[in-house]
Amino acid sequence: MNLNTRIMPRDRGAGSLDVVIAVMAFLAALALGASLIAERAATTWRTGLAGRITVQVSPPEKSHASLDQQIEAALSVLRKTPGIAHASLVSEEDTLMLIKPWLGSDALVADLPIPRLIDAEITPGASLDVMSLRGRLKTAAPDSFLDDHTRWLSRLRSLAEGITWSAYGILALIALATAATVSFATRAGLHAHREIVELLHQIGAHSGFIAHAFEWHYFVAAFIAGAIGAGLAALLYVAGTGAELAGFEAVPFLPPITLHLSELAWLLTVPVAASWIALLTARLSVLGALSRVY
Amino acid sequence: MVRFENIGMRYGPGPEILRDVTFTLDPGSFTFLTGPSGAGKSTLLKLMYLAEAPSRGLISLFGSNLSRVPRAQLPALRRRIGVVFQDFRLLDHLSAFDNVALPLRIAGREATNYQRDVEELLSWVGLGNRLSARPTTLSGGEQQRIAIARAVVARPDLLLADEPTGNVDPDMGQRLIRLFEELNKLGTTVLIATHDRSLIESARAREMRLVEGRVIELRSPIS
Repeated sequence: MNLNTRIMPRDRGAGSLDVVIAVMAFLAALALGASLIAERAATTWRTGLAGRITVQVSPPEKSHASLDQQIEAALSVLRKTPGIAHASLVSEEDTLMLIKPWLGSDALVADLPIPRLIDAEITPGASLDVMSLRGRLKTAAPDSFLDDHTRWLSRLRSLAEGITWSAYGILALIALATAATVSFATRAGLHAHREIVELLHQIGAHSGFIAHAFEWHYFVAAFIAGAIGAGLAALLYVAGTGAELAGFEAVPFLPPITLHLSELAWLLTVPVAASWIALLTARLSVLGALSRVY
Repeated sequence: MVRFENIGMRYGPGPEILRDVTFTLDPGSFTFLTGPSGAGKSTLLKLMYLAEAPSRGLISLFGSNLSRVPRAQLPALRRRIGVVFQDFRLLDHLSAFDNVALPLRIAGREATNYQRDVEELLSWVGLGNRLSARPTTLSGGEQQRIAIARAVVARPDLLLADEPTGNVDPDMGQRLIRLFEELNKLGTTVLIATHDRSLIESARAREMRLVEGRVIELRSPIS
């Protein structure tokens, strides 16, 4: 380490600043990970449902045609519709599996009038006239209902965007708190080392030279503390992956708390950002203080 | 080199510490600044090494009127001044070598470029075997010699020293005065604030006495 970077001694009490930055970095990495998980879940949900429609055929109420006749009629309409690549009936077992999380699987469920589902895949790039199809299905199978998932997809998108923007908001607040903490610590350091700063100033050091001595000190400290905080958060996400592999489901219906390797790499940005925030706030604090000296 | 014209100095709303101070230091001159404690010697030195701005009057340094020098150019002027502070102001966490090298680093010189100069100078002040020592492990006299070495290492145009021999024995005091005289011969203008009469008598330099904030010229260099 050269003389320029050793001019400022290590502050007494700097350990507590390191702890604060490590905690901030940990929270920031958690928030960043949450936003990545929300983004991924939203994409999975969108791609899973986009390009598909579902036709629900309820046990007959409005017509004399049987459930099977209406299913056949609906399948026939779908298969003849341009833009529908494939249409198939979801088996009763699979339908029961779908409602199992809500209604369970006891004998009572078997007595319920469970609708049958037809899953249809839209040809990629094809434009489907949903309103017209809905009308033709109603004519052929009066107890059918066409769901193009628009409402569900819209709500999912809103939920995912809400989570993502909340995570960004938390990240911004943490960055602000980190900047304020480092700024406070820098000013305290500047006060504690006032004699050193005055000496450097007196023997002809430019404000930039003095600021550099401070900013380097905080840059290194914030990078190390940030790396520790982000590393702990990464360990938490790795543990989440391990739990998922072991078959543990944290919250039913919600995506697992895991990050892929490429997503884990994003956590590296946390110590980098923490160190640059520290560097810039330290520099601005020092330059601001020196601007008031002759 | 240095010109003070009707300088007045007060801190805040307090009384004037310096009143109508007018004097000139010619380039290459050697001057002792004397006067009782509280006469304003330290304040006068602070104005000269640009730690403070005067309340009134005009200071001209190296041919520049300080009131017209842009703030960004003040560090360059300060680098032309070597200062021996009465309280040394050494950085306790740095070695003797690094303390002395500090002005050279600030001037932008590389370590490989100044290592020999710093070592030679520390040897000259009798600390050639204490290069790595921290100031806190050295005696007051040794610390003072490091402070002097730091002040002269960059061959300043103006050297200001506040009681530079206060903590050293008479022999070392004479040796340090010889160092100042050598620098003076090389063209450095020297001003030393001191109470040490033997030092003043031995150097036979100009003496400027400060009494109650006013300068009284006592002795010219040739008397």
